[in-house]
Amino acid sequence: MGQSNTIRILDGNTFVVSEDTGDIEATPSEPTGLFSIDTRFLSRWVLTVNGERLNALSYDDLQYYEARFFLVPGMATHYVDAKLSIIRERTVGGSFREQVTILNHDEKPVDLEIRMDAGSDFADLFQVKDEILNKKGEIYAEAESDRLRLGYRRGSFVRETVISSSESARYDRNGFAYSVHLEPNEQWETRIDVQTHAIGPGGRDLRMGLRVHGTERLALQHDLEEWIAKAPKLNSEHEELATTYRRSLVDLAALRFSPLSLGGQTLPAAGLPWFMTMFGRDSILTCLQVLPFAPEMSKTTLRILASLQGTRFDDFREEDPGRILHEMRYGETAAFEEQPHSPYYGSVDATPLFVILLDEYEKWSGDVDLVRELEQECRAALKWIDNYADLVGNGYIWYERRNTDTGLENQCWKDSWDSISYSDGTLPPFPRATCEVQGYAYDAKVRAARMAREFWGDPAYADLLEREATQLKERFNRDWWVEDGEYYALALDPDGRQCATLSSNVGHLLWSGIVDHDRAEKIAHHLVGPRLFTGWGVRTLAEGEIRYNPIGYHNGTIWPFDNSFIAWGLRRYGFTEEAATIASGILDAATYFHGRLPEAFGGYPREQTKFPVEYPTACSPQAWSTGTPLLLLRTMLGLEPHEGHLAVEPVLPVGMGRIEVLDIPGRWGRVDAFARGRLDLHSLAD
Amino acid sequence: MVDATTRFFEDLDRRGYEPVLAKTSGTLRFDLHEGAQTTHWLVEIDRGKVRVSQEDREADTVVGISPALFEEMAAGREHGVAAVLRGDMTVTGDARLVVQIERIFPGPPDSKGPRRLFHAEVH
Repeated sequence: MGQSNTIRILDGNTFVVSEDTGDIEATPSEPTGLFSIDTRFLSRWVLTVNGERLNALSYDDLQYYEARFFLVPGMATHYVDAKLSIIRERTVGGSFREQVTILNHDEKPVDLEIRMDAGSDFADLFQVKDEILNKKGEIYAEAESDRLRLGYRRGSFVRETVISSSESARYDRNGFAYSVHLEPNEQWETRIDVQTHAIGPGGRDLRMGLRVHGTERLALQHDLEEWIAKAPKLNSEHEELATTYRRSLVDLAALRFSPLSLGGQTLPAAGLPWFMTMFGRDSILTCLQVLPFAPEMSKTTLRILASLQGTRFDDFREEDPGRILHEMRYGETAAFEEQPHSPYYGSVDATPLFVILLDEYEKWSGDVDLVRELEQECRAALKWIDNYADLVGNGYIWYERRNTDTGLENQCWKDSWDSISYSDGTLPPFPRATCEVQGYAYDAKVRAARMAREFWGDPAYADLLEREATQLKERFNRDWWVEDGEYYALALDPDGRQCATLSSNVGHLLWSGIVDHDRAEKIAHHLVGPRLFTGWGVRTLAEGEIRYNPIGYHNGTIWPFDNSFIAWGLRRYGFTEEAATIASGILDAATYFHGRLPEAFGGYPREQTKFPVEYPTACSPQAWSTGTPLLLLRTMLGLEPHEGHLAVEPVLPVGMGRIEVLDIPGRWGRVDAFARGRLDLHSLAD
Repeated sequence: MVDATTRFFEDLDRRGYEPVLAKTSGTLRFDLHEGAQTTHWLVEIDRGKVRVSQEDREADTVVGISPALFEEMAAGREHGVAAVLRGDMTVTGDARLVVQIERIFPGPPDSKGPRRLFHAEVH
């Protein structure tokens, strides 16, 4: 997925992935299509003129919700002779609309047979990369006089694609066609409307009454302009940084997602195209990254996740009382419980991160009401940490999936099957405990203690939480410290044996504050040392580890979001130069992606490849990669809410020049931050 | 013998307060359709305070469902959100109320919850 020649546009969780001609011909290796609510509504959408396929002269993805394609008939070598041009303009906003315009440049009139092949396999998003041979329901197509209806029915589960056109067309079961006569220099156009329906027995749509922001093109444009106008302004001597900043804001707007049935509130979805849904972990971490720039996102995210907090034991969904969800899906496999995402709760970090976000959000916004509103949910989350996550009974958060069929094996952010290993490369048994999650638990308790004391009027609970946090920190520093390597183990197995691999996870420990002060310097050295740091950023797994592979998904690639939290952690412990080193490496990398950082890129040394090598199957834009430049800016500028005002303590590398961020919102109203690059990073390496 | 459906609503009415619904207000009517016959259950929620009756009154949200499916949900053997996605349960009106009330249904009876290892004693 994620081929660079595919064009994607989206609005909420409706999106179109097509070839650069605008055509859609979905195959398992080329999962293009029109998607909505985790279902593919078009898998074939091919425009021909007189039976000939079209070729792209150029295309424009004007905004995240619209694209334009300039096409000519025939093969690439015949461009110069083209007597016809075809323009396809499309918008996604609730439904999918395409305007087709055909211009005759010939001095003779022409008669054209224009045809759109249309079809849908109604694949669940989870199936798009499989050969779909045995759909359990029935696919149908009905050609009516004024529309084509494509549908899929399995019991009461009905999904329909309804296609109509402003110019009258001849509809058949496989598409629709027009016969057009064009005089010289004449043009013809039609507007095609594609509606997606999720119909219940009463004929009502599942998404009834749901409107995020307006779905008409103008409303979308207005909404985007407003979003950008509301965010702080960035002025920079370096155009690249300004580009990256603007790209981040626009992508963040695009990734806003409104879950069904939650009244149009939005939170950041995880990423396009395959993760346009709510993810506990991704949504929370993105909110943390963007707090200084888009604080209102935190409020809605916290509320939405709170309203879906677990209330009972459900082994299939891995739900427990107090647990924050991992992932919600709306497709056929969730509906028929072939996948557990209705919602699925199999993550161990979303729950402590929920508490962390609430506290951090209050520090910025002063929104005490929300802290009071979510007191019970916070208490339930903390109870989950102590009562249900401690599977070994020694005071740590562990995971072992109860859904052994479709649940996730690794329930931390590094969730691929081989991400957690001993230093000899073998995989530990379950339950497993990873280090960064213990840091989150520590931080959650410390922060909850503050909220209990200051806002919940419960100093006894605050004392208890602080005692527990202190004990956790002591225990952790004893059990997880790898003596001969002088860092923290990646994970523990149920017998307390260390997975003594050196990984980027130690950077998250700095962020959470669980690292003993006299050990922080060792960790900082590792993070900018040659085994972890490539010159662009910190690898997920250190070079020299048996499973290290520069393009191993969680075993050697660089994840921008990971680096942003590492930089924040370094800054927290006073390693400002190390933080700036990582921040400037990642921001440099962003310029190679036109300001849009991918999910991950190769862990090759910077001097070897000269440019960051994109990980082949990475999603883009992805929410926490989009949030990364914003958190790096916060880190370099040293923005920190402090007793009701905003402290600014910039440490920038010389090359960054002068940066100003104007109108940073918060409990202080709006404040500006100014910085100048004074730090010589080359001296650091010596 | 009282069925799980009646027990579910009677228990809810007897509790009178449901902390999971502390942030929820509104009325929700379950219409259990079987052939020409429809049984109504009206749930009135006022920030966690709950009252259940069998009145056929207008409500913010109306849920259409078969008695058999509701019985399975009340016993924890079926899941409300999945049923909505499948189209086996229909929702008219404010869908937020359904998502919230769904959370007070029991989990699957065979779900054991997290299993703690007891061999590893605290050091």
